[in-house]
Amino acid sequence: MAADPDQTLIEMKNAAFSFGRIPVFRQVNLKIARGEVFCLLGPNGCGKTTLIDCMLGIHKLDTGRLCLMGQSRPRHSPKETARVMAYVPQKHDRHFSFSVLDLLLLGRTPYIAFYASPGKPDIEKAKKILELFGLSHLMHRDYTRLSGGETQLVMIMRALIQETPVIVMDEPTSHLDFRHELIVLETLARLIRERRITLVMATHFPNHAFYFENAGIPVNVAFMGNQSVKPSGTPSRALTQENLARFYHIETLVMTHTLPGKGPIKQIIPIKTLDRKTKGTP
Amino acid sequence: MRSFRRHRTLWYGLMAVLPLVLGACSVFLGRYPVSVRDIVELAAAAWTGQGMDPTHFSVIVHVRLPRIILGALVGGSLAVSGAAFQGLFRNPLVSSGMLGVSSGAGFGAALALILFDRYMYVYPLSFGFGLLAVLLCFFIGRLTASTQAITLVLGGVIVGSIFSALISLLKYLADPYDELPAIVFWLMGSLSRAEYDHIFTAGIPMMAGSLGLVIVRWRLNVLAMGDREAHSLGLNVNANRIFIIVCATLATAGAVCVSGVIGWVGLVVPHMGRMIIGNDNKALIPVAFFMGAAFLILVDDISRLISTSEMPLGILTSLLGGPFFIYLLRRTRGREW
Repeated sequence: MAADPDQTLIEMKNAAFSFGRIPVFRQVNLKIARGEVFCLLGPNGCGKTTLIDCMLGIHKLDTGRLCLMGQSRPRHSPKETARVMAYVPQKHDRHFSFSVLDLLLLGRTPYIAFYASPGKPDIEKAKKILELFGLSHLMHRDYTRLSGGETQLVMIMRALIQETPVIVMDEPTSHLDFRHELIVLETLARLIRERRITLVMATHFPNHAFYFENAGIPVNVAFMGNQSVKPSGTPSRALTQENLARFYHIETLVMTHTLPGKGPIKQIIPIKTLDRKTKGTP
Repeated sequence: MRSFRRHRTLWYGLMAVLPLVLGACSVFLGRYPVSVRDIVELAAAAWTGQGMDPTHFSVIVHVRLPRIILGALVGGSLAVSGAAFQGLFRNPLVSSGMLGVSSGAGFGAALALILFDRYMYVYPLSFGFGLLAVLLCFFIGRLTASTQAITLVLGGVIVGSIFSALISLLKYLADPYDELPAIVFWLMGSLSRAEYDHIFTAGIPMMAGSLGLVIVRWRLNVLAMGDREAHSLGLNVNANRIFIIVCATLATAGAVCVSGVIGWVGLVVPHMGRMIIGNDNKALIPVAFFMGAAFLILVDDISRLISTSEMPLGILTSLLGGPFFIYLLRRTRGREW
């Protein structure tokens, strides 16, 4: 399986954004193709979430262009954006107890007129996705009482019901335990393979990029820092010990282990932090 | 609570007929006795065009009926706006008076009572100042160059307290024998001034606002996810928020200008609805309207019955709503919302 380089779903050209006088990023150029995982890496506070917000149209770019499915507009309408990208938030504030079904139906918003509400076909869609995930028993449960792992799966389901070619995730596995982290990653890998979904994700864990590469999914890594975004190719090319030292100021060991019948598996093992002064930034 | 949910359709229907049943019963309640025979006579008289006992006619058609209609409209409007604001601001402690509508309307009424000593001017001034208060909230929000819900909430607190202070100022300046009691009674709320032409004029904003909220009710679920998520789900957050605020403001200002400040309905009735039907605004918004209508009809009946000089509604809504709310809290153990 390969990404489809001819089909660029999201493109940012010469993009810049600042909060008032504080610049967040400038001259960002990136292309995200159908069927790939676009992995945005960067230290805390480098502006990953802001970049994602700009993609989602929550913030308007100061300069530059954002093309969605080849369409370039000064500002894409929320409805238009929501038919291209579904967003799985990093942190979700729960205010009212809705049932899981009611929550999933929110994914149908871009297809529902302002006076209407979800109908039978929408409910059927929600039921199908719940079945697909083997979580039908959650349907009438109060979503505020789900565990962190279940909540994240429900959010992914909501994104799927939005029926978009792209799913955008901010820290998809923060607050999850070891097993649930793997469940979420496995689910995502399966969706990418079976439904040719494109995944845009901001993460603190470079190993996530390797996870998808190990699973045979095309992955592109981009480093964000110093107000710029640097597309750096596949994890094997981008996530080298040298780059990690330059970028995160840490000493690491990139290990390759060959599992019988499964091919090589790559992982990064962090060793120790390095002094910031001795090394430059990329 | 599970039992409530399982029979959701049943509860929905029950809530819808509740104000009708209560309203019908209320015709018979009050100091002047009205019997079923009187109603039959009234219907017969209307059918045949013959006259009937004018006192009976007057009590039923000009005293009881307008109060019941007004009670239903006011209660429903306050409850539905409160439910909408709670969803919109993602805060269960918010009520229909959130953005200063009630304080603004109260000030307008007090001003009218002092400047002109006729009730006629109370309605337009109170309605106008109610709207003005919400506009000021928006203006305060704009000062911070942010359209976030929190600046609106803060604006509401500021505007509300300014108008409360102005009301106190007017009370201080008012003639203590004549104007002051009028202001105080108006602020405590009453349906006793119900007349058809007032009901009709104030009914337009109340119905329009409530209907608007019923139309966009499902979108409150989307907005309850927070601005970022609502936007990413494809909702134009600002446009929807403004539409909902305009509707809720029209409904509340319409209610307050004819009935005075009736507290508690816009805060607690939506919660009663949440406990019975759940938080899904698709069901909650209509149910809140029905329950608000039923609640206020009931409270007004009690106010008519317990004393010869009708007790102001604002007092009764709190005295009755409080214990009932405690009962519901106990039954549901604070769950499900």
